[in-house]
Amino acid sequence: MRISARRLVLFAVVLAGTLALSGCWDIKDINHRSLPVVMGVKQIDDTYKVLLLIPDATPSRTDVKIISQSGSTIDEILDKIDRNMENKVDLLHLKVIIFERSVAEKGLSQSVESFMRARDISNKTLTAISVGALEPLFDKLTSSSTSDGTEMYDFFEKNAGWSPEVVQTRIWEVFRSMDSFTRDVVIPTIQPGLSTTIESNGAAVIKNGRMVGVIDSDESLLYNLFKGTGTQGKIEVMNHATVKIVADRLTRSSELKEGQATMKGRLHLKVTVLETVGAPTEAEIKQEIDEQLSARFQSMLRAAQAKEADILGIGQYFRDKLSRENLRQWRTKYYPFMKIEFKVHVIIQDEGLLKMKR
Amino acid sequence: MDKSRQVIVMFWITHIGLIFFLYPTEIIGSLTAGHWCAVLLGFLIHISMLAVYTKGLSQCAPLNVIDLFQGVGRVFAFAMLLPLAIYFIMIMIITIRAYAEIVTVIFLGNTPLWTIMLLFLAVSTFICLLGIESIFRTGMLVALLFFPFLILVVVLSFQNTDWHYMLPLMDRDAATFAYTLRRPFLKSLFAFVGGFLFLGFIPPHIPFQGRKIVLASLGLIPFFLVSVYVPLLTFGENTASKFPFPFIMAVDTVDVSWLMFDRVTMFFMISMLCFVILFLSLGMWVTLLMIKRGIPVLKDPTACLLLAAVVYSVCLLVPNWSAVERLMWWNTLPRYYAAFIIPLAVFALGARRRRMEAVRP
Repeated sequence: MRISARRLVLFAVVLAGTLALSGCWDIKDINHRSLPVVMGVKQIDDTYKVLLLIPDATPSRTDVKIISQSGSTIDEILDKIDRNMENKVDLLHLKVIIFERSVAEKGLSQSVESFMRARDISNKTLTAISVGALEPLFDKLTSSSTSDGTEMYDFFEKNAGWSPEVVQTRIWEVFRSMDSFTRDVVIPTIQPGLSTTIESNGAAVIKNGRMVGVIDSDESLLYNLFKGTGTQGKIEVMNHATVKIVADRLTRSSELKEGQATMKGRLHLKVTVLETVGAPTEAEIKQEIDEQLSARFQSMLRAAQAKEADILGIGQYFRDKLSRENLRQWRTKYYPFMKIEFKVHVIIQDEGLLKMKR
Repeated sequence: MDKSRQVIVMFWITHIGLIFFLYPTEIIGSLTAGHWCAVLLGFLIHISMLAVYTKGLSQCAPLNVIDLFQGVGRVFAFAMLLPLAIYFIMIMIITIRAYAEIVTVIFLGNTPLWTIMLLFLAVSTFICLLGIESIFRTGMLVALLFFPFLILVVVLSFQNTDWHYMLPLMDRDAATFAYTLRRPFLKSLFAFVGGFLFLGFIPPHIPFQGRKIVLASLGLIPFFLVSVYVPLLTFGENTASKFPFPFIMAVDTVDVSWLMFDRVTMFFMISMLCFVILFLSLGMWVTLLMIKRGIPVLKDPTACLLLAAVVYSVCLLVPNWSAVERLMWWNTLPRYYAAFIIPLAVFALGARRRRMEAVRP
């Protein structure tokens, strides 16, 4: 009898515990939170300005609002926004961070570091650089008809609107490049489009956290090819034909002789013909793709070498050939003088639904 | 009945729970290239001590470490086991405090530390009170539930790796073993030591074969290497050395669109925490064995609750992360004692016992 009484008390305590301790601590319900999807960062002299794009869901429809605030650090700004808003700002679902071009030119290190340090910002957040001022871009995002705030994310998302000419760069990749000896990064540039919401026209070359140059859309495709992010479905326009890349593989070998770095790259492409102008032969198409891609690759690399920005991470292939001390000087001592032999090997898998002239 | 399987599972759980958080930080902090060398050196120490320990234990088969030492003399037993008890209590304090901090840093930003520590301690005290058999059974259950997640996360964590970061495989620093005397490396050995001492305290009704345990410990090598190399291959040495929890950061970068959860880190964290809670209850059980033998007045529920209370109040006194790291450094000496002296002493006593048995059959 005594035992059962004790058990009863124990049971009561456990029950009270489960009711009181639901596992939530200082919890804020979802309707008391604002979940920004896009963050824009701009800099005017020494003050930062942050714009947040917040979807505002009501039962009938979803609206988008923009909130902006300025201050000396990004955290201070977020604090201010939080203070002034009726809801808690929760950056957990932030998907894209857009930097204004001037911020990127001055250096992203400070802001990227604080994004990495922050607990609530995922290090998978995508980055982009706005070519023009941020405000028109954000206005466009709010005014576009279907706006529920996710366009920007869908634009970059692989299972939504992403296309192979757009580079995907996440915040951790930018952070990695800031300290790396052998690897720089490119961040896609965007601007408000004329008929579409967003338009991408290439990417910015970021060296140690600072923007030093740009590459265009075609070069972005090559960058993606080199990086190995699936470029399937890309349409390559030439004088005589349009082809679609269905599979790609890149083999690389590196060599270092008497301080001269040489890189051999061989791109194997499988393509299918979409359109022909005139009547080119298979051999002509193959040769044209090779010439065009090689030339484009060389010119992109020349430009990057001139800026000493190793966007393709070629230094990675010399890690075993250089000592750590020399690796430190990779960008200045070896990379600008590196030679690259780039060949494209094309297999025309099929010719579409029409036969081609042999 | 041979219960080696349960013991092996428990052995894996306790180690894996310790590997993924602090261990990669220390290894990445101790050298700049050729990390595999440090990992394998640590493992070599681990497996050789494990072999010595299990060999010694099997030679004095039904006795556990306490009985064995007491057979030599009460004073001897007291002198030998006191540092070990201190080591276990220290490691409980450090583990609880460190993992509570990790939990707040990674996902429970608003929850105060004391509740998390209370949760860890309450669950592990409860399991410990139910006895060693239930610890082992829980171990089997937890392993069945969480190993699939763990394997999934480990496989996914290779998503962003770039194998070139593995090069150079060796440099002067790694080849000359200069790192072995550095603080981070000395601290890193905690992952190799904490987990195997419990083998000497298992009661005779849970028989196990030492040889199988040694073989099973080889299965840990991939986990040690993964925990260090995934962050290195994802971020490179320069960047990986900036993170307090490099493996978690590397898992955070994994982007899987077909998974219903945005962060695979969560799966990983939850399974790790279960492993750690089991490790704690095991450590508590071992400590209680020693305490109860040393102070026979203390009986089970009281002793257990008392120990939990002591551990909890010390945990509350640790103010910040650097204090945790300092504690870990202070624990180095007891750790080496536990890692080297105890297995060697057991081995020596076992050898002596066998010799005596050979003389007087």
